Amino acid sequence: MNRIDTLPPEIELAQLLQRCAAQDSVAFRTLYDKTSPILFARLLRMLRRRAVAEEALQDVYVRIWQRAAQYEMGRGRALAWMVTIARYCAIDLMRRERVMLVSEDSLAEIADESAAEAGGLEKPNNFDHCIEQLNDNTRKCLTLAFVEGRSHDEIARLTVNPLGSVKSWIRRGLLALKECLSAESQTT
Amino acid sequence: MKSANRELLDRLAAEYVLGTLRHRARRRFERWLLSPQVGAIVKAWEDRLAGLEPQLAPVTPPATVWHGIEDKLELRKLRRRPAARWLAIAASLAFFVMAGILLTYRQPPDVPQLARTQESLLQADPQTIYWRVEVFGDNQELELHVQNTYDLPAGKAHELWALPEGGAPVSLGLLPQTGEQRRVLTPAQQAAIAGAKQIAVSLEPEGGSPTGAPTGPVLLVAPLSRV
Repeated sequence: MNRIDTLPPEIELAQLLQRCAAQDSVAFRTLYDKTSPILFARLLRMLRRRAVAEEALQDVYVRIWQRAAQYEMGRGRALAWMVTIARYCAIDLMRRERVMLVSEDSLAEIADESAAEAGGLEKPNNFDHCIEQLNDNTRKCLTLAFVEGRSHDEIARLTVNPLGSVKSWIRRGLLALKECLSAESQTT
Repeated sequence: MKSANRELLDRLAAEYVLGTLRHRARRRFERWLLSPQVGAIVKAWEDRLAGLEPQLAPVTPPATVWHGIEDKLELRKLRRRPAARWLAIAASLAFFVMAGILLTYRQPPDVPQLARTQESLLQADPQTIYWRVEVFGDNQELELHVQNTYDLPAGKAHELWALPEGGAPVSLGLLPQTGEQRRVLTPAQQAAIAGAKQIAVSLEPEGGSPTGAPTGPVLLVAPLSRV
């Protein structure tokens, strides 16, 4: 299935968010129907347990409703804005749900995903080129942190690397990514 | 701002967005988010790291999630917002004109606000809902919401039916192609819904079924459930 075809149009989501900002609960329900399967999949990826992901999904939409007025059309893509809220909610929940278990299949799944064509959400120009410039360890650490919401400790355990190395790979990786992306955007 | 501070801020923002800034450090950093300068640095990182978003197959959450959100935000109290009321007035005015011609319509003054009692999602697969149908009160009113457009050939219409158990389908009128519609149901329609566990959509000639029963193919059938 091609994700791009199934994603709701951005302009429509942006308009729905604007109506939510005006307290339009009908628009909110439509927004929920169109986007909750995407956000729920994203939360399940981070939180793993269904009950926890369902609780998180409620928090996410409560925040979306309350912050709809803060969403500025043209400032960013609507779905990306919502996905970011979902990621932050999941990270906050992980703090409370310390029972999270590290799963062994994570690394294999990560490898599959980076190989897949990313669909839907817009990537910065030259992102693929810049991420390829990083070494394998760094790329793996960044992906585990961003996609699964893993902490430094968990990444060290998962990848069987010293905590200090993981921290410095991440720090340097982020810096390298920023430099590469800004260099590329200046030349293009 | 000193350049060392700016570098530290940029690093914290990066790890905040990545998710590796945790616990107290994360809470502390969140307090700075109110500053437009910090907000802009965070936004820049959100844009950069968006490239790491994975491609995932959508998963439809259970209906209980929405009901929880509705309760938390007390959304039911918001129904009949001024805009909705205005639309309802416009709709009932249009209805009045029509009904005036038919000389059958009597609008009771001050219709009390009805609670949403039943709901049905007309969908072909779990990911694509075409219409959301809501029933209000004791089946007096119906609200129709177009979620996704169902292809309609020229000269045709989508007609909604209540499927009373053990009885013939009863038309609930034509379905809108865009937006939302709220309708007052006739006593016959109310009785049909009261005895129905399912509703259906059929393809009919423009203007609806000429016979009063579905004539075209049935496109969608969905359960009607209590909320």
